[in-house]
Amino acid sequence: MRRLGSVVSGAAIAALAFAVAPGAEAQEKYRPPVAELEAFVPEPLPPGFSVQHTDVDGPVFVEANGMTLYKWPLKDLRNGDTGDRKGKEPFCANVKYTENSGLMSPYPPGLVLPELDTRPTCEEVWLPVKAQEGAEEIGKWSTLKRHDGSLQWAHDGMPLYTSILDKQPGQVFGATSRETANDAPALREPAGPKANTPPAFNVKTVATGRLLVNHVGFSVYTWDKDQPNKSNCYNECLKDWTPVQAPQTALPQGEWGIIERAPGIKQWTYRTKPVYTRVQDRRFRSMEGSDIPGWHNVYTQKNPEPPKGHFTVQDARIGQVLADSTGKTIYVYNCADDALDQQYCDHPNAPQVYRMAICGGNDAARCVATFPYVIAPVGAKNGNMIWGTMWIDPMTGKKAEANAKGALHVWTFRDRPIYTHSGDLKPGDTNADAWGEFNGYRNGFKAFWLRDDFLDNVS
Amino acid sequence: MRRYLTLASGAAAVAFTIAMGVGGAANAESAPAVKDGTIGFVLTSRFWAVHQTPEGKVECPNGFNDGPREQFKQLFPEDGTKRTLLETQLMREGRQWHPTTSEEPFTFKDAGGKISYGMNLDGKVKDSDFTSPDGAKGIDNQLYRAMGCITNYRAPEGTIYHFENEYVGRYVHNRFMIEITGVDSLTNDDDVTINSYRGIDPIMADATGANFIPGGTQRVDDRWGNFVRATWKGKIVDGVLISDPSDVVIPASATFDTNGLHRFKGMRFQLKLTPDRAEGVMAGYVDVEAFNHHLNTSWSTHHQSYGQLSAPSLYRALRRLADGYPDPKTGEMTAISSALLVKFVRTNVVHPPRATASSEPANVQSVQASHQ
Repeated sequence: MRRLGSVVSGAAIAALAFAVAPGAEAQEKYRPPVAELEAFVPEPLPPGFSVQHTDVDGPVFVEANGMTLYKWPLKDLRNGDTGDRKGKEPFCANVKYTENSGLMSPYPPGLVLPELDTRPTCEEVWLPVKAQEGAEEIGKWSTLKRHDGSLQWAHDGMPLYTSILDKQPGQVFGATSRETANDAPALREPAGPKANTPPAFNVKTVATGRLLVNHVGFSVYTWDKDQPNKSNCYNECLKDWTPVQAPQTALPQGEWGIIERAPGIKQWTYRTKPVYTRVQDRRFRSMEGSDIPGWHNVYTQKNPEPPKGHFTVQDARIGQVLADSTGKTIYVYNCADDALDQQYCDHPNAPQVYRMAICGGNDAARCVATFPYVIAPVGAKNGNMIWGTMWIDPMTGKKAEANAKGALHVWTFRDRPIYTHSGDLKPGDTNADAWGEFNGYRNGFKAFWLRDDFLDNVS
Repeated sequence: MRRYLTLASGAAAVAFTIAMGVGGAANAESAPAVKDGTIGFVLTSRFWAVHQTPEGKVECPNGFNDGPREQFKQLFPEDGTKRTLLETQLMREGRQWHPTTSEEPFTFKDAGGKISYGMNLDGKVKDSDFTSPDGAKGIDNQLYRAMGCITNYRAPEGTIYHFENEYVGRYVHNRFMIEITGVDSLTNDDDVTINSYRGIDPIMADATGANFIPGGTQRVDDRWGNFVRATWKGKIVDGVLISDPSDVVIPASATFDTNGLHRFKGMRFQLKLTPDRAEGVMAGYVDVEAFNHHLNTSWSTHHQSYGQLSAPSLYRALRRLADGYPDPKTGEMTAISSALLVKFVRTNVVHPPRATASSEPANVQSVQASHQ
């Protein structure tokens, strides 16, 4: 049966008024090294705020210094919830939690957290974006009163923060907009403007970029045999591909155009290319259509590629993974603690006992042997914000001085080291995927999936 | 109407009793299901073979094992002592992922009794062996001895018992097919070839959605699923497919974005065949490390707690009870005998052409191209 899920009502489209931010790029302090950037719907901003394109998360809101803004949506965990409530006093406050909350399972609350002497409060890690008394609220931007009576900016009712991990404009090291699994922590998310798409479309952050999908979640494709603003997909082609139809009342705008493929039948185009969904796609965010020669997934913005010459792509049992130069699968480490403020523990400046427990049973040497760091040449260049290098003391897991005795110079993704796994014996092995608490989402390792054909390209 | 069939085979010591519907059990010789000597089946149901008596009184006379919550309370009683996360939760999680065979302060309860499903895998009758419900001796199923008194693996309340089977049908990743070729007769044929594949399609179900029905189509996943491919020989005796031992991989993901698999060594099939269904037992040796790995990467400690399953304790039992594939250097057994109760429905296996080399998504392809 043919799917026509992307056809929306005329009334909905009639109300569409989307536009590209003119000259937005020129104001930005960092330009991701990719060919095309995602257009967004401009909105009125308070003085000092602007929009910055980033490598993975597309356009995000930034404050006057160009630092990314984040929000902390309330999330249900196993035994309760935590996070900010829309329009309410920000929960992230000047409280130093000393015990775990027991919000997760099966371990009880009341256990003393590690490294208490240096543990920051929530607002020391997530810096509230303060507003002056009398700040003028505008559009979706408002202010909320904090516990100490000060005012904090909010977007769409959600309090806004910056992250102590971000040091430069364009960095989004605090959190990502990529979706994750149910038992992940109550994570922060970058706050940003709406992608400039008609209501029939949406944009999802996946491992390879900002993927264009229809409003249901199915991937959108283009075809090499089409011409600019002209579809050549008729007859046999239509058995496998469904043009994304545009309502009669829809108007072209920005990168979005409309062609009339048959009398009275209109089709959306994106960057002059007619767009389609694939009849046989059964999963959201599928990339299977790109296996058909000439057909391509569509990205509003692609991610910068990993540093050339140091990484490969390998076929694995559900899709493709990023691998090191020898073909060994790359893993990222995810961690947030079980305190009420859900502080990250997946960064070298956080306690390493969580990772050490999972990768080595609290034995640092076994940890390094089981999950080796991915060594980077000294002086390696990457040209973007998302891939980098750092010096690491492998016995502590913390950052080290350059060339310090025993220190390793390692590759990083999102300012965090990446790893391989000793149990992977051949290219494509992913034996440490889901290794750790809650299948690697809470305190553990996930393979660096670039594409999966079975799990919706979530993470 | 249901009837009970007892499978019997001289050499292979078929040793279990199965219940199966006979709705599709027409005369196999005249059935159109076998075309060009080929018939395919897709797995619809898979349980670890755990023989149970009411309330476990025979096999678990001392009750059932404790799980992570119970063990945590024993180790760290609620006596007002302030404890650190490092010495409690993280110590226990470290044991999950780096188990040992050292002594632990918990008593593990093996399944006792004399009765178990399974097969005689080594051709011997030993003291440690079970007897089948039908009276066959020499049944090798030490995995049952290890897991039989763990609630998580018992019917009907065990979380793993219930969900691992449900996920067989729910998740396409888990689609396991066999295609039997060289079939002259579904009743007796002394030489058939069995091929295993991963499929990539949903299984056809009836209007309730709860029952899988024969006659659907499954495309072979030859893009990512080649790890499931295997070929081995067998025969059909009195309507029962009896296979030679073979190493078999069965995809077995749980939920939570996992993609695990079960690895078997020397697995044999004993499947009652009809034109529409195949049902019976698959028995072989499970690599102990691979079993533990699948358990922990598929089921979090939280989920293991639902059914009082302590992975570190079970690991010790697996290592203690392992009875196959000795390590060539140490002589220590690396695998444990096991059995699965399985059901298949007939499916039309479609072999698609292979994807072309230039079929990667552009963004991925460019990374790959730079390193070729």
